[in-house]
Amino acid sequence: MIKEGTFGPAEAIVLLALSSLSRGFLSYPRSLVEIAGPAAWMTPLGGLAVALVGVYLISLVFKRNPGYTIIETTEQAFGPFIGTALNVLIVVSAFEMVGALFLREFSEAMLTTTLRFAPISIIDFSFLTMGLLGAYLGIEALARTARLIYLYVLAGLLITVLSLIPFWNFYNLLPLLGKGVSRDFLHGTYATAGIAEVILAAVIVQAMGGVKNFARIGYISMLISFGILIVLLVTLVLTYNWPISEEFTLPFLRLYRTIYLGRFFQRPEAVFILIWSVVGALKISLMLYGAAVSLARSLKLPEYRPLIWPLGLVMYIIGLLPLDMPAAVNLDVYLRGFVLIPDYLLPLLILAAYWLKGRGKCAGS
Amino acid sequence: MSTLKHLLKLISYQENTDREGFILEETANDRQTAQKSGPSSESQAAPEHGDNKEKAPAGRRSFKKPVRPSGKANDKTKKRKDSGRSGEENPDQESGQANGIKQAEELSVSASLAENREIVGKLYGLPENKDIIVRDIAIGTDPVIEGFAIFIDGLVDKSVQDLLFQALMLFAARPVPPGKGKLASYVKERLLPGNQVSVRTQFRDILDAVNYGDTALFLEGCAEAVLVETKGWEHRGVDRPTVEQVVRGPQEAFSETLRANTALIRKLIKNENLTTEFLQVGARNRVHVAVMYLRDLANPALVAEVKRRINSIKTDHIIDSGVLEEFIQDNPYNLNPTVMATERPDRVAAGIFNGRVAIIVDGSPFVLLVPVTMYEMLHTGEELYSRWQLGTFIRYLRALAFNLSFLLPGLYLSVVLFHHEMIPTELLLAIAGNRERVPFPSIVEVLLMEISFELIREAGLRIPGVIGSTIGIVGALILGQAAVQANIVSPILVILVAVTGLAGFAIPYYSLAFALRIYRFFYISLGAALGFFGIAIGLFTQIILTANLKSFGVPYLAPIGPRTVTGADIVTRLPVFFHKKRPDYLNPQDIKRQPDVSRGWIGHKTGGKDD
Repeated sequence: MIKEGTFGPAEAIVLLALSSLSRGFLSYPRSLVEIAGPAAWMTPLGGLAVALVGVYLISLVFKRNPGYTIIETTEQAFGPFIGTALNVLIVVSAFEMVGALFLREFSEAMLTTTLRFAPISIIDFSFLTMGLLGAYLGIEALARTARLIYLYVLAGLLITVLSLIPFWNFYNLLPLLGKGVSRDFLHGTYATAGIAEVILAAVIVQAMGGVKNFARIGYISMLISFGILIVLLVTLVLTYNWPISEEFTLPFLRLYRTIYLGRFFQRPEAVFILIWSVVGALKISLMLYGAAVSLARSLKLPEYRPLIWPLGLVMYIIGLLPLDMPAAVNLDVYLRGFVLIPDYLLPLLILAAYWLKGRGKCAGS
Repeated sequence: MSTLKHLLKLISYQENTDREGFILEETANDRQTAQKSGPSSESQAAPEHGDNKEKAPAGRRSFKKPVRPSGKANDKTKKRKDSGRSGEENPDQESGQANGIKQAEELSVSASLAENREIVGKLYGLPENKDIIVRDIAIGTDPVIEGFAIFIDGLVDKSVQDLLFQALMLFAARPVPPGKGKLASYVKERLLPGNQVSVRTQFRDILDAVNYGDTALFLEGCAEAVLVETKGWEHRGVDRPTVEQVVRGPQEAFSETLRANTALIRKLIKNENLTTEFLQVGARNRVHVAVMYLRDLANPALVAEVKRRINSIKTDHIIDSGVLEEFIQDNPYNLNPTVMATERPDRVAAGIFNGRVAIIVDGSPFVLLVPVTMYEMLHTGEELYSRWQLGTFIRYLRALAFNLSFLLPGLYLSVVLFHHEMIPTELLLAIAGNRERVPFPSIVEVLLMEISFELIREAGLRIPGVIGSTIGIVGALILGQAAVQANIVSPILVILVAVTGLAGFAIPYYSLAFALRIYRFFYISLGAALGFFGIAIGLFTQIILTANLKSFGVPYLAPIGPRTVTGADIVTRLPVFFHKKRPDYLNPQDIKRQPDVSRGWIGHKTGGKDD
């Protein structure tokens, strides 16, 4: 039996919200502006709705198997062979891929921001080391860390938004529907639904206090993370109009650089590196932890920690594969589609399997 | 080879045996371990020991075999049941102990006075051992009873002993009751006026008492010894605190005497539920350790855990509570202390009132308090004794000092080396102007100053008497000024290091301040190597390692990480009438400290007027 530790709903909400939010620090907001133009802030609305449905679907799955995680549930639904294959090919690989790309993108962001002459491998390795430590210490330590840092992250974001008010131009939000309703809500939903950490919540459900809290934690964390993303997108579009925002590699670095609070307080972006890096390390730790725990559960191992180093090494290698930052960002676009499979398709398949087995009533009740 | 083994052990995977969650109770594993190390531990102390035995040559095994005293071979089955002396049950220690100790475990008092005298002589190494006094006496009963008293010169109170001998030799003129077997009880009940008198049959008990300042009385024809409490050694009195000083509040500190320390606590806690349990630690030294708690308040699982950890210690001796602290703390490899050591009785009393357990080691003026969180290490009594606004202000100032004490030099290096854009132009020019004449890179400059500061601090502590503090301040001033004039460091750095040092001194708990001093050098290295990214690496590592700590089952960063009921006394110190509950994370038996309306007088609307 894997010892995961336990933590309360407050820690769980903060942990999932910070994990979902971390993508906002990278080039992700730029791609949303590219999709919807001035209505970029509307794109997360569809994603939020899908994420809430995803949480609901998984909570239905857990009603049938209250004492288990999504890994065991998949096995029960599809049998040991197909279930294990699905777990490894979908869940574990999703964590690995997302972790690897975050490793690369955060490292690239760090190079762009401050350490221009440092080799990417060193920065990558530094992030990996933090990830290994976080994953080794476990989800309880990660949740407590999230609980300790979230106030600083929120305060940093709030200060950013408030400091940029003098630069806001509300005409930048026009036309209100941007590049069209279909782009705002169809493309936007596809692009944003993947940032939700539904599958992570489904893997650590027992550490979060079990099934009874799952839906509540899931809903609140999704509302918080999508809400903050909307506020950040509004700030971006209000400060710079959308054609300019489309050109920023790291939109929020640009926003931080814009802050000017008098002659003595200007260019504070270096301070935000602290927030970025810590959130990035938390995200990578979570992905590594998720991959290791999912694999250990799939393979019925009593402990997940021996898997951390090999999985971390794989993550490091995959992270170094993209040629440069644009290649990594492009890969991320494809990956967002892939992540929809474990987040939403897998629970649907499980429910379908139960239904086919004649247990649909119980699962849906 | 052993270093290599340690290194390999450090990097190789080991199963996580941390206890799960917010639980003070023992886990099944711990219970099994406790059972193993219990009464039957002698037979299978440790598997590795058995392995060693197999490898050891036969000659060595026979060398380790304990030698029994002549004529007492049959007494070997008499085992001491006191689990507090588990140290003697460890085969490792058996091999390393003197035969005398081994003998004392197995010997009981004989009815023959001559034999008792011989045994005592052997055990204490008489007559070479000069401060062990054996005084022959004849009790003035009818008929006269021969006997001898044994005590240690310097540990006993001579006036008490004079009374003892007077009572036995001059005022005991009464007939002896029939049945010599009950002689010791008769002497205890009828002849001795001492306030603590007991009868013992085992030499181990007798030696323990004599070593602790008591006098043992052996009588002819009696297979028991009478122990009289005559403790009275030279000791330091109750003094003012030297480490934890406050402006307002009690000005008493613990001393090196165990009973005086327990009395200081009992003086503050006038409650019959205050319980003092005595344990003994150390196979050779057998130091007394007192465990104090409120029986109706402290979590029984916590008390059991404290006693279990202390009882399980297998070592030769313990000199100070600092040594015991290392034996019992949850994470000895982490820099942060997880046990509080304080010299203030009021602090211990406040802790006990909250449901904590105090551990007092004989000979140590610092009392341990468990469990403890990091936030409590940043508290002093002064915040509570002063007005709440002042207390809150001090707390926030201390929070700033906490961060500055380990971050400031690292942040300076990051800004100077990597993030110039953050510095306003005027300040940047001033820093550059000052650094123009300094030949060293910034990191060398910072390290020079930091190491000099640490040297001054350490030297100031070690230099005897009043010179110490003088040389600390003067040395720092002269060294800083001279270093600037010699163009070794820039003036801004002197200010920076001084502020960092002051921030470090503002941390009230010495062990925590020390940990932060060490952390500072990590941040200097990280800041110089990777700028703010390096600082972020350090922060993440420090936060997650600290968040993972526990102190006797209580998360170290509670009630913030994890979130529990926060109470009114974490950073902001609310007025005392809001302190309605005890800390939730301690799981006390009674969480409520005072009712919702603790100021009864505000309920009387007619206050000040006649009805």
